[in-house]
Amino acid sequence: MNFHSPATRTRVSFAALTALFLVFVIAGSALAQQKVSRKFPAGKNVRLELKNLSGTITVETWARDEIRVTAMMDAPAVHFNPRQTDAGLVIDIVGDNRGRSDVGDVNFKIQVPARSSVDLETRSGQISVSNIQGELVRAHVWTSGDITLSGVNAARVFAANTTGDIYFDGEFASGGTYEFKSGQGAITLRLPANCGFRLVATAPAKQISMGPFWSDGMKLLGEGRRIIGDVGDGRASVTVTNYQGRINFVRR
Amino acid sequence: MNCENYQDLLSDFIDGSLSPQDHNKVETHLSVCGACAEARSDLNAIVGFCLEHRGEYDAVPNERALWLRISNMIEVELAAPSRTAIPENAGWWFRLMNRSWQLSFPQVAASIAAIAIVVASGTVVGVRRFQDRGFQGTPIVSTGSSVEARYRQRQQVIDYWNQRVELNKARWNPQMRETFDRNMSVIDAAVNDSMRQLNQNPHDEVSEEILNAALNDKVELLKEFAAL
Repeated sequence: MNFHSPATRTRVSFAALTALFLVFVIAGSALAQQKVSRKFPAGKNVRLELKNLSGTITVETWARDEIRVTAMMDAPAVHFNPRQTDAGLVIDIVGDNRGRSDVGDVNFKIQVPARSSVDLETRSGQISVSNIQGELVRAHVWTSGDITLSGVNAARVFAANTTGDIYFDGEFASGGTYEFKSGQGAITLRLPANCGFRLVATAPAKQISMGPFWSDGMKLLGEGRRIIGDVGDGRASVTVTNYQGRINFVRR
Repeated sequence: MNCENYQDLLSDFIDGSLSPQDHNKVETHLSVCGACAEARSDLNAIVGFCLEHRGEYDAVPNERALWLRISNMIEVELAAPSRTAIPENAGWWFRLMNRSWQLSFPQVAASIAAIAIVVASGTVVGVRRFQDRGFQGTPIVSTGSSVEARYRQRQQVIDYWNQRVELNKARWNPQMRETFDRNMSVIDAAVNDSMRQLNQNPHDEVSEEILNAALNDKVELLKEFAAL
């Protein structure tokens, strides 16, 4: 390669300038995001309550009696004031930043003890919860965002969004209540073969696939838009509603 | 169970006297139903107020002594000459209005009970007459039109919250506006589909339930975003 030729020099200069520009852009966006990480002491049966405006929420379990909250904020001026209560931890991004339009996304990664209850909601963004074995798991996306609940074994589960998929992989406790609701998106429940529940599943699009959980005692209502009936011992109460999407039952 | 049933259980729920199963059901419902959660907050506030002020309205230390003092004061007043002397040629109305009334507690209680019975009887008769006239004078309301009526009623609530949202919308960033509008159109589609189904089959329970659920979702979503 002849570096002295004008064409080569122009190409090299252009490449160098592009690389420099990319470095500034990436570094700039990394600096613009603020990362906050805090730890809070917690008992084994702690309750985590989080209200977010937009951004992802990921909740995982760990083998420590404390909660670690890591928040990545788009806007450095976001008010972020976690409050410790007798029951656990409350993070209210909505209340702390009411009336502000410059909040942007706040992405949370939270680690909690396995026996925790979690009550999560966001105006938009994905919610992911894994391996929670506590009393309650509630995940509510008011508008768009997928919800993934995996390895969940709680007595009460509520998952709802308007647009986006809902995926539940867990177990239903005897006497527990479980509600899944979406406006537009697939709802998939992956369950062990031996689980028992009383089902009310409604999908106006008539797309309800019971898979191996179909039993002769089940009734189809409204020309197939609703299925009701017991699976196994029928001791858990399960309500699934999807206005425009599919409902799928899958065996583990 | 519907909201009315849940709200009937709220008092026991707050007292902690429900069975664990009912307690869980109510708690789950409260976590998803704004109206019932609001009712719970109100009831909680009342119970809290009562607990906070417990003891402030206890009986006086010496009830008998207090009653004797009151009784003495009444006797003194009775012994005093009447403020208005009634002339002998006064009319019955003047005599009635200037007469000193002294009723015992059983007399007062009996009078109140009599008034209550008269008012209750009047109300029952009135309601029955109104119902009879309603059945005779107007045609039987069909299921379809009752759905329409409920839809219109709900629409008024939606319009109210919609106005609140529109006031705030200018403050939102474009991404939030777009997300909100897109999701609202998903719920609107569910409402319209249900209405279409109900127009074809006014007795379709599944569509009616979906319509109610979608309208509730719409109100809740509007409320949520109106508060931003």
